[in-house]
Amino acid sequence: MMDKEQYKKTFDTVASFGMEPLEVRRIMKNSRKHAYMNKIAAAAAVVAVLAGSTGVAYAANVGGIQRTLQLWLHGDQTNAELVINENGEYSAVYQLEDGSTETRSGGGIAIEADGTERPLTEEEIMAQLFMPEVEYKDDGTVWVYYYDQKIDVTDLFEDGVCYVKLVNGDETLYMTIEYDNGYSVSSDKYPEPESFN
Amino acid sequence: MRQSLEELIACHQKSLYTAAFSVCRNVDDANDVVQDTFIQYYTSKKQFRDKEHLKAWLLRVAINRARDISRSFWKRNRISIEECMEEIPFENQEEHDLLETVMKLPEKYREVIHLYYYEELSVKEISEILRITEGSVKMRLSRGRKFLRDVVKEEES
Repeated sequence: MMDKEQYKKTFDTVASFGMEPLEVRRIMKNSRKHAYMNKIAAAAAVVAVLAGSTGVAYAANVGGIQRTLQLWLHGDQTNAELVINENGEYSAVYQLEDGSTETRSGGGIAIEADGTERPLTEEEIMAQLFMPEVEYKDDGTVWVYYYDQKIDVTDLFEDGVCYVKLVNGDETLYMTIEYDNGYSVSSDKYPEPESFN
Repeated sequence: MRQSLEELIACHQKSLYTAAFSVCRNVDDANDVVQDTFIQYYTSKKQFRDKEHLKAWLLRVAINRARDISRSFWKRNRISIEECMEEIPFENQEEHDLLETVMKLPEKYREVIHLYYYEELSVKEISEILRITEGSVKMRLSRGRKFLRDVVKEEES
């Protein structure tokens, strides 16, 4: 009878035979229609996001951007080192209380209305970095973090779905959370759970 | 949390490819599934709790896509699993026989067997990815193993 090691070895051979190398650019190109819609929504939140990041030290380097910014982490501000490369991808590295570091990364390209591609702007990336977060704590409670706001949404779930309106200055976001199964936000209306899961 | 595509490809391409292959039993389809899965990630605004949550989501998307492809009416000029196996450079006969036997399993058993043996996921984790009960996962694992034993016995006799 087979064991896990034998099974893994066999399928590793299968992968080494047929798996084709993937290019990030090709994937981005093939996803152009959806990317356009997503990035427009992100860009709408830019002004408020920049207003919220104070004490910024800025330095541009060759082929990308590097800066220190203040990131909201579970409702508290922390310093992070942000690096944006020429493809519009970013990584933000920050230190945790125990001294270890964590990285948030993402980004990519945006597709303009005429179909042309461009890397995400710094402002659009900042908007991504300041999106709300959801945490499921060990005590069973569920929390949403948005800038300095910490909201206990544990009792707001009905049939596994929770809707939360988030306001920060002039910016309003409508957030839909599917319990233990992801969430999505929109500046227009509450996203349908089926749209993101 | 989100991760960049570069990181995802480096971390998960092989997992997604082998999961897709175990469902589709076809090299080209498995590669298409992997690309489609990363596109779905890239175009989705979905946020993830942690890396495990993200990986589970990617596996679910890939398996669902692989099912769609393998059941689609419009099939391309695919090479059969038998032809494919002739080209795979297995290190020994055992590997060849194992894949041949596993590929004879019904699809719903292959999925569970793969997630259990290759990804080393727990019954609970598999139930969440496939959205079936833990009891169903256990039953499919048990029946899948029995099916494998029967195939081996049959071939030996």
